[in-house]
This record gives sequence, C-alpha cells and structure tokens, in this order.
Amino acid sequence: MTLLLSVQTLHKRHGERVLFDIGRLDIAAGAAYVLTGANGAGKSTLLRMLGGLERCAGCTVTFDGHHLPLYPYPRQLRQHIVYVHQHPILFSTSVAHNIAYGLLARGAAGRALHGCVDEAMAWAGVAHLRENDPARLSGGEKQRVALARARVLRPRLLLLDEPTANLDGAAREQVLALIPTLVDQGTSVIVACHDRDLINLPGVQRLKLRDGRLETRSQHTPPTWRTR
Amino acid sequence: MGLFDATARAFALLASGDAALWQIVWVSVKTALSGLLLATPPAVVLGYLVAMHRFPGRRIVVWLAQAALALPTVLIGLLLYLMLSRSGPLGSLGWLFSQPGIIAGQCLIGLPVLLAFTLAAVQALDPRYAETALAHGASRLRVMTSVLHEARYGVMAAVISGFGRVISEVGCALMVGGNIEGRTRTITTAIALETSKGDFAQGIALGIVLVTLALAMNGVLVLLQGDAHNPGARL
Repeated sequence: MTLLLSVQTLHKRHGERVLFDIGRLDIAAGAAYVLTGANGAGKSTLLRMLGGLERCAGCTVTFDGHHLPLYPYPRQLRQHIVYVHQHPILFSTSVAHNIAYGLLARGAAGRALHGCVDEAMAWAGVAHLRENDPARLSGGEKQRVALARARVLRPRLLLLDEPTANLDGAAREQVLALIPTLVDQGTSVIVACHDRDLINLPGVQRLKLRDGRLETRSQHTPPTWRTR
Repeated sequence: MGLFDATARAFALLASGDAALWQIVWVSVKTALSGLLLATPPAVVLGYLVAMHRFPGRRIVVWLAQAALALPTVLIGLLLYLMLSRSGPLGSLGWLFSQPGIIAGQCLIGLPVLLAFTLAAVQALDPRYAETALAHGASRLRVMTSVLHEARYGVMAAVISGFGRVISEVGCALMVGGNIEGRTRTITTAIALETSKGDFAQGIALGIVLVTLALAMNGVLVLLQGDAHNPGARL
C-alpha cells in the first residue's frame, strides 16, 4: 500500500500538560482510519494540526515523498488536505456557492466549475437545496453540504471531526453512507469519532489516543474501506 | 421668538428651498461622505487584521483604538490646524480653511469609530469562518473578504456610526474649515453661528436636516439587515 502521509514528530502541550506526543503515524493512500479517544484526549487538535489550523512548531511530515514542516503550513499540504469541522460552518450565501467555495478559491470558473458543483450536490443528495439559505438547513443537511464542499476539491486526505455527532436517525445514516464513497474515489479519510457504527466498519484502521500516545490497531478484514 | 414660532419658520425655510441653507447641507454631506470614503477601507482592513491576528502590543492597539473614540473632535481639529497652518509640516498643501481640510478632519474622526466597530464585529464572529475558508484553500485576501462578508452587518453599523460621528461633529470643522459661508460652512458650524446670532429658525431647520439624515442612514441599515440575524426564537 502506498504511503500518503507519514508523521515523524507531532506533539502538543497546553502549558505544562502534554496533550500528546506522537513519534510516528503513517497514513496510506486510499485508506480509512477512525481516531478514537476520551473527550479531551486531543482528537480534534490532532486533526486540526494535520489540517494546518493549529500551530505546530517543530512538527514535520512526509507527504507524497516530500519532507515538509507542519508550521508554517505548506501550500502543497493545503491543496491536498481538507479539514471539516464537527459542526460545519457554511457561509451565508447559498448552498451551491458554499460547495463552489474551494474551487472558486483555486481559480475555477465556467462550465467546469458548475459541472463539479452539480455532481457534488447530486452525490450528497442536496441538489434540491441549491439556492437555499444555509442557515435554514438541518444539522444533517449542513454536514452533507460540508462533505460535498470538501469532496469537490478531490483531496488526497480528508479529516472529518466527529461528522455524525449530534445527528440521529436518517440524517446520521445519510452521512454514514457518504463517507465510504469518499474512500472509493481514492481519498484517504481520518474520522475522529465515538460512533460505534463507524468504528466497527470493516477495513477501517483504528487509531486511539490514550494518555498522550497514539495506539494503532488494524482489523483483520481487508485494509481498505469500501462502500457497503 | 418662541420655540413654536422658530420651528414653524424653520419648516418654511426648508420648504422655500433657500439656496444658502441647502448649500450648507451640501457642503456637510459632501465633506462627511468624502472623509468616510477615505477612512473606511484602511479602517476596515486594520480592524480585521487586529481582530484576526495575535501580535505583541495588540492589546495596546485595541486600547488606543477604543480610547480614540472618546477623543474630543476639537482636539483633532487643533492638531490638524497646527499641521495645516502655514508654518506647520503640511502647510504647503494649502488646506487650512478649505473643504479638503475638513475632509481630512472627518477622515481622522471617522477612522477610530470604523476601526473599533469593525474590530468588535470581526472579533464577535465565529473563528471557524476563517478556518473554513483557510481549510478550503482560500488566499489571505479571500479569507478576509469571506470573513468581512460574514461580519457585514457589523461593518455596516460601523460605517453608519462613523457617518453619524463625522456629520455631527463641530469642533474640527470649525477650527480647520473656518466656517466660511458658501465654502466651509457645515450644518453644525452654521447651527452654532446662527444660534449665537439669535437666528433660531435656520438652526432648527439645519437640525431637522441633520436628524433626517441620521434617520435615513439608519433606515438603510435596518433595511439591509432585514431579518437575517433573527432566524431563531423570538421573545
């Protein structure tokens, strides 16, 4: 399996308290990982550091064979790694504009842009919400729009912070169904979660933050996580 | 003359289309809007930068920006007068007792209001807006425009407040403008002058214009804000 990202040193302190100190973490291309740990263990912080949203002086990674620092966050990582918040933030424009946001930021325009946005909206099942005000969407709809907004950028690594937290019933099922299809298209996914259904999916590599250390456990089932 | 008579005459003056009175209104609006137009871009960008970045001395910058809100306009007028007077460092511009001089003063008066209000609006915004923009590959400029778009009602309120401060100030316009009829006489300096002369009707007429302008500007803000900030519960 091709290695996408390899973390050499990753550490975080809050004052005197060491939140975590990770010696090594390897993320394979097109693989799925669930990151578990007690509340306050540092799951979100770890994802935010990998996503360039948390300062991480002295931390280094190898991405696609290139040795890079995590701070200041390199452009090369910004182009290929996307982080999605637990409670996604949608800009107060429209659903379609939100999904197009990253593409617009990268200079996309015209038919190619509209095609990508339409395809992503269809994938997430939010095509009927195209011109809706994001403030009026339900939690599940917001999460699906956020996933579509991330997917449309075709990231190599997607970091999802508790995507099913506070969702139940059909909304949770819909989000759960989308995540494996991201892996199908070759994106590596790390999901911070407490959701048993996500943790127990076959083929998922398990990462656990405990007492500042990262434990890695893979399952006996095939190492990739495919659509059920 | 009683208040009632003066007010009746003020309305008559407004309705008559008195050229001198409307010239004063025009000078006021023109200098206030020009000053605001010059102050808004740097103040909004500076407010955004101070709100979004942590740097040594940041709290001092915030303190000074907020303290500047309480700076008497007459003091700003005095400083500007000394700068623009013939022997001052900017004397060669020839702006003393001219409209550009008043505009410079209005700009200096509006700047701290715009900065402090923008800073507060951006600081109050959920920081995840900037993170979301950044996480999706936005440049620093796009992050700023996205964040300011989300804070737009606060920024609009800053502009309206700035307008209110510059159009209603009297000290700086009087010192730097000189209250020259037809050239640098503004609503507030004219009110001060006419009242001292005992001509209350023109003072009240100009006061009515000032209140109407304030109501109109705030009305625009209320219209633009619409119902956008109240999607939730109503008490």
